[in-house]
Amino acid sequence: MLEPVMFTGGLYKHDLVVELVEDLGGYVLQKNVTQTEIILLILIPSEDAAALGVLSKELRGELVRAPLAGTEVAVVTPTLAIHHLPHIACDIAEYLRRHGSKTNMLGMARGVGREIAQINEYETALINEHDAAVFIFGNFQECIKKKESLYRNISVPVVVTGGPQIPQGDLPYAFGYVPSIGRVAHRARKSTEIGTLDRIVEVVGRALDKTRNAIAKDPLTTSPPRVMDAVREQVPEVEFSYSPLPIALNLTGCRVKLPYEGYRDKVSAVTFDEGVKLGEIATIRPSRMKDYILVRILPASETGFVF
Amino acid sequence: MDPMEVFKIEVTGQEEFGAKKYRELIMDILQDLGLIRSIGKLYVYVDIMKPVFAVYGLLRSGIPPLTVKDVGDVLKVQGGYQVKINDEEHMADMIRVLSDHYGRERVEQPARDIVVIASDATPADLMVADLEAEFLQDLTDALVRVAPEGFRNRRNEMTKDSFFFIAAEETLEPDMIREMREKIREMENA
Repeated sequence: MLEPVMFTGGLYKHDLVVELVEDLGGYVLQKNVTQTEIILLILIPSEDAAALGVLSKELRGELVRAPLAGTEVAVVTPTLAIHHLPHIACDIAEYLRRHGSKTNMLGMARGVGREIAQINEYETALINEHDAAVFIFGNFQECIKKKESLYRNISVPVVVTGGPQIPQGDLPYAFGYVPSIGRVAHRARKSTEIGTLDRIVEVVGRALDKTRNAIAKDPLTTSPPRVMDAVREQVPEVEFSYSPLPIALNLTGCRVKLPYEGYRDKVSAVTFDEGVKLGEIATIRPSRMKDYILVRILPASETGFVF
Repeated sequence: MDPMEVFKIEVTGQEEFGAKKYRELIMDILQDLGLIRSIGKLYVYVDIMKPVFAVYGLLRSGIPPLTVKDVGDVLKVQGGYQVKINDEEHMADMIRVLSDHYGRERVEQPARDIVVIASDATPADLMVADLEAEFLQDLTDALVRVAPEGFRNRRNEMTKDSFFFIAAEETLEPDMIREMREKIREMENA
């Protein structure tokens, strides 16, 4: 069982952390360097987590559990206008990020209003590429109930946030509803506001656990971090991608940020130690996000084996 | 405590939370844009089922235009006048106005905060900026920000001492505008 953790510490000697993680059979998911500081998102075998704890203490770093690591969450607002941004949407996205998730902010083209709000096929497909979605709505309960049509056709778990208290039964298509965070024009700074952000993280965590449990019933042929590692090794061009996270992990695969047309075959030909090619155990298709490559690992019921 | 004399907000249906939050939101936005002290009374009416959003406000006494003597100290010096700038925010506007009025060759800026004008006519009362016009622009911006997004059909009537703003998703019919005026009047008289 791999445990998701986040290491924050000095840049000096951080290689020791990376080396230890690799020696223990873990994966470094993301590396963020900010001047003299570094933030590493790591998956480490849970029985060896203590060893990493000792090393990070030695290096005067901080090691915390990042329950959302290795997942991608869409933070969806009705538009990208000043009414919804920056305060609430950025606070939520930032908070999810601090708990290890990769978040993408998505403003709908015509998501505004009560009667006129709508979502199109492209937006739905793009949100469905994520592991969960957080829809940020406003302060009026009538509007929140009415806007259910925006996420009714989304197949990933949807967490809805809004201002008023609404019984969960009134929003049957939402995985969860978090109140007290409607439209506001200031950053979250009071303890109650931070508490609400914590609740969002908790509900998103539960939504992801539900997906993990569903996957556990029919496990994937291989784990997404392993695919990431193999792609990184055998398609070195990915490291030259301008994106800050060249391979974004999902629960069921990953998104390789290279042009689909040019690199489809190369990604498909990535070979594992067992002699299996990625193209045989996963579907490689164009992502709705730019022209990236979307890798979806097939479950054991389709390939007949797990490694 | 509200800096306004009267601030009433009414939302139809079971939307007490929405009303409370919109109150905070309006205060936040007006404060951000520095408008709160210029508004005396404010009435907001929201009918979320229609849906329509209306704001009526009474403005405090007019703001006089900004003149050169408000931006800096005007002194008579040999061969003309000197302005020692105190308010750098309007420095560029002032230099533009002075150049337009006296001609570019007669206006000099020997130091960052000193402007010298080679003329016998005092610049003290020249108008640098029409603050009232700027205020009305900011107010319109604030109202557009306050209105729920998606209420794209808007009407804004501004006079010297009041404003009436209405926004809705559907086309604004004269009947609807009349009805909103009536509602606001009821709130005023309540």
